[in-house]
Amino acid sequence: MKVTIHIWDLPLRLFHWLLAIAVAAAYITAKIGGALIDWHGRIGLFILGLLVFRILWGFVGSTHARFLTFFPTLPRLIAYLKGRWQGIGHNPLGALSVFALLAVLAAQVGTGLFANDDIAFVGPLFNFVDKSVSDRLTGLHNTIFDLLLAFIVLHIVAIIFYRWVKKTNLVVPMLTGKKQVPKTLAASVAGRTVSGVGAVGLILSLIISCTVVWGVTGGIAYLHPAETYQQTAQADPGF
Amino acid sequence: MNRKIALTLLLTASTTAAIAGPIEEQIRFRQSAYSFAAWNVGKIKSQVVDHPETFNKDAVAAAANAIAAVANSGLGALYGEGTDKGVGWKQTRLKPEFFQKKAEVTVAANTFNEAANELAKVAATGDINAIKVQFGKVGESCKGCHDLTRIKE
Repeated sequence: MKVTIHIWDLPLRLFHWLLAIAVAAAYITAKIGGALIDWHGRIGLFILGLLVFRILWGFVGSTHARFLTFFPTLPRLIAYLKGRWQGIGHNPLGALSVFALLAVLAAQVGTGLFANDDIAFVGPLFNFVDKSVSDRLTGLHNTIFDLLLAFIVLHIVAIIFYRWVKKTNLVVPMLTGKKQVPKTLAASVAGRTVSGVGAVGLILSLIISCTVVWGVTGGIAYLHPAETYQQTAQADPGF
Repeated sequence: MNRKIALTLLLTASTTAAIAGPIEEQIRFRQSAYSFAAWNVGKIKSQVVDHPETFNKDAVAAAANAIAAVANSGLGALYGEGTDKGVGWKQTRLKPEFFQKKAEVTVAANTFNEAANELAKVAATGDINAIKVQFGKVGESCKGCHDLTRIKE
């Protein structure tokens, strides 16, 4: 006997799909380069906003969005690997993947803020470090991308594995927010499946996310002006 | 007699240096050339893309001409055999495969040369939107060569 429950809240699903689209767009714009590298930078800032939002949502979002709900503790992991884990949100192995992806993406965005392409693009925080440091962080930005790609491939392979081997469709719930679960399981979490999609938490999370993005673009430059030489160079130096 | 030999040796040495130069010298000159180009690329980026309100037609045209001059200066002469290893202003990042991919490299380098010369032409018109478009193409041509010939950081 199965019942349909609301498992992923709308902000979480929007986060997921916008992140997927943004990462793909960031990859394409970086590969093509030229004028699109500026878009790569803007998309990176958008991803920064998404990540900040997700971290906040991990504390104030609905039940299955909360980190504490699905944190992959060792007992949970062992139980899952022995086939004894019962739950309806992220399973402990999936939870590890969530945290790994978030950490790798955070490192990717963090290094990107200081990066340069040795052509005509610098990240918004480039002026706060030496060029040599920026070069090293750019190198890390390249390396971390490979790691990110590996995690994305693992993520997709896992989804295919669940679909064909474990007969569980993970994609549809991420689109609709609804999932069919055994009635006994649903009962154990009844009443708190979609708790906490509070307007206050949502608005505060959005405001903080936007503020962080503004902070690294305009805010820091405003509080701590680090104008580039190019901006202060005289238009007519005389010779 | 000894002085003559010394003079001949000195002349030969300096002529050789002027034609090919030791490896470090080639690396240093090409790093300088690209740094100079980067200064001018930065000016155009700032005045055309990031802060168009500061657009100065003459300054941008001068910058575009400088980039084209670097492109037209025969940079290929600074990529002699063995220059994939060595320190100019800093360690070179030229890929060792560079020397096996001469045909591809020539195409990529000429793409940059053509894009840079076109940018100089467009910059002379003072049409900021057209400059912006062509500037993007120059950026792509830079990347084309970097991806092909430079070891990633």
